[in-house]
Amino acid sequence: MNRREMLLLLAGTATLPDQLLAMGRAVHKRAHAGTLRALTPHQNETVATIAELILPKTDTPGARDAGVPAFIDVMLAEWVGDEERKMFTAGLADVDTRARAMFAKDFVACSAEQQTQLLTTLDAELARLRDTKADTSKSFLGGMKWLTLTGYYTSEVGATSELNYRVVPGRYEPCYPLDQ
Amino acid sequence: MKTYDAIVIGSGMSGGWAAKELTELGLQTLVLEAGRPIVPEKDYAEHVPMWEMKFRGMGDRQHVSKDQPIQQQCYACDEMASKFFVNDLENPYTTPDDKPFSWIRGRQVGGRSIMWGRQVYRWSDLDFEANVREGIGVDWPIRYADIAPWYDHVERFVGISGKAEGLPQLPDGQFLKPMPLNCGEQLVADAVARAWPGERVVTIGRCAVLTEAHNGRAACHYCGPCHRGCITRSYFSSVNATLPAAQATGRLTLRPYSVVQSVLYDRKAGRATGVRIIDAQTKHAIEFKARIVFLCASTIESARILLLSGIANSSGQVGKNLMDHIMGGGAGGRIDGPADRDTIGNRPNGIYVPRFRNIGKGKSSFLRGYGFQGGAGRSDWGRGAEQTGFGAEFKKSLRKPGPWGFSFYGFGEMLPDEKNVVEIDKTKVDAWGIPVARISCAYGENEKALVHDMSITAAEMLAEAGAHDINPYTSNNPPGLVIHEMGTARMGKDPKTSVLNAHNQCWDVPNLFVTDGACMASTACQNPSITYMALTARAAAYAVDAMKRNEL
Repeated sequence: MNRREMLLLLAGTATLPDQLLAMGRAVHKRAHAGTLRALTPHQNETVATIAELILPKTDTPGARDAGVPAFIDVMLAEWVGDEERKMFTAGLADVDTRARAMFAKDFVACSAEQQTQLLTTLDAELARLRDTKADTSKSFLGGMKWLTLTGYYTSEVGATSELNYRVVPGRYEPCYPLDQ
Repeated sequence: MKTYDAIVIGSGMSGGWAAKELTELGLQTLVLEAGRPIVPEKDYAEHVPMWEMKFRGMGDRQHVSKDQPIQQQCYACDEMASKFFVNDLENPYTTPDDKPFSWIRGRQVGGRSIMWGRQVYRWSDLDFEANVREGIGVDWPIRYADIAPWYDHVERFVGISGKAEGLPQLPDGQFLKPMPLNCGEQLVADAVARAWPGERVVTIGRCAVLTEAHNGRAACHYCGPCHRGCITRSYFSSVNATLPAAQATGRLTLRPYSVVQSVLYDRKAGRATGVRIIDAQTKHAIEFKARIVFLCASTIESARILLLSGIANSSGQVGKNLMDHIMGGGAGGRIDGPADRDTIGNRPNGIYVPRFRNIGKGKSSFLRGYGFQGGAGRSDWGRGAEQTGFGAEFKKSLRKPGPWGFSFYGFGEMLPDEKNVVEIDKTKVDAWGIPVARISCAYGENEKALVHDMSITAAEMLAEAGAHDINPYTSNNPPGLVIHEMGTARMGKDPKTSVLNAHNQCWDVPNLFVTDGACMASTACQNPSITYMALTARAAAYAVDAMKRNEL
């Protein structure tokens, strides 16, 4: 639905359609990135590198371009509890410990292949937890994946380029053929 | 001092209707609302995109868990809508330690009609006759024939989308065209119709959301988060519909920030004379006078006000028989919906399965019954967090919707019980110095049996539909969370055992009417709001007639 359609839809109501979509934006300024609040620059770069490995730039933008690292920093600073934050930063430290053991470098200094190899190991460990119905809530990668996906698909870039998200769909189709 | 013709306490679902009907019938009406005013153009937030929200819709968790620990238990108390729920620190109440009760509240113009679930189902005589048939509680003083024309009256104004099914236990109403079932739901509906013909029906929910323009309000545009408001006024609320209608008469005075402390009472005359409030901003007490008073503050608040006023309680029934519905039973599973089809748009409605237990032949081991809500849909990108894999292929796979799933969740009837009570806790006051409610309420064995049965019948319907990985479940929820509180000033036939007569009029105080959920003598299993609306309109017409005859 475009703006004109929206105006037509609203014709006859006593509201102020011009303000319709602008309204929320005026009130709810988006959180600006720039200053890190929960993470150190090194931790932030590690987060950004892993996020981009999970959802890389393809024919659509990747996690970095979608502002996922800034979102994760906000979530760590203001949303998660102290215990969860500690678990997350301990997980980041563990990634570096493993990288140094395997490749004698911090994770961010590793080659893309080395990074992929390490992340594959972590992903297999997470899969084992799932397969054995063990507790995955303490898994660093489990939390990192959830944060990355949430940050990406709810970003303007992710929701509009990768998904077909529309604030106002304008109609309900109960059984619509998917584009092949 | 000006004497109003009527004072309405509360501007929510029932208060909005009282305001509309009383003003349209010619009364100068003062509506007292405890909370702040609502300006749709400023306060509604349904079109804020996810990325404009700091926590992407997941809410200010740390802040909310401090200020709204009770309210956050409601799904609708989210990042954009938590402002429509009360601050629990300012609005305390107490419970016994072993009987938690989750009291979900909205204090603003429109009350909880802003965030309500919008499901609308009529009662039938199966419900009105249940108490007397089983010797539980008191008999309703009315039957379906008494309320049916008033259901018609309110439904024509509200605008209800739904499908007529011709079921005696769930009478059809004044329906706008129904929203469609999606292809996953159609599959389940067909399977259930084959397996339980004439007994179990999967129909589209009947809801107060417009599928076509109606009474100057626009059809739904399927944006989804109704509980954040609706600038096109496509769903019914006091703010969207009844209060503007009352305003249009020129006879409405709406006073926000008016926390009612008590109903003023002339002991000699046996009549209410007005209402005493605490101004929420100045904290000064103010009194308003009126010829009649409509108490529509919501079930627990209305009981609290009556108890604080010390009136209308010669039966000793004020505050007793607090009820909610019960939820927590159901089942989910994967279904073989068409892989090449999906839905577009966010339908603010699901399926409904009308009650099928204890009607006609076949008796269950429990009394009464339950209905199911639910629906079908395909999983989205969120499933990726539970999957192995990362990188370009992983990302590509999440572009497509996942498998079809279906969920049934039940809502069951709760029996009246004198042990479930609202009292005044003299040891604690709210932010305005008014003694708070003490709520003592627990589900009984019959309700627990309903929840167990829900999980079984939901699972067997999914099995009939060929579902995989069927997950029947039961869970324990504190009462209150269904947000259908009822019963604390029940209607009845006898002033010795009930608070209100057949017209929602206090037996003891003829010019005082209570028309919110407090009046209910039983709960049925249907969502109750439309019944409050119909009873309010009916009581308003009765009151105005009586005034014209100089009987009030």
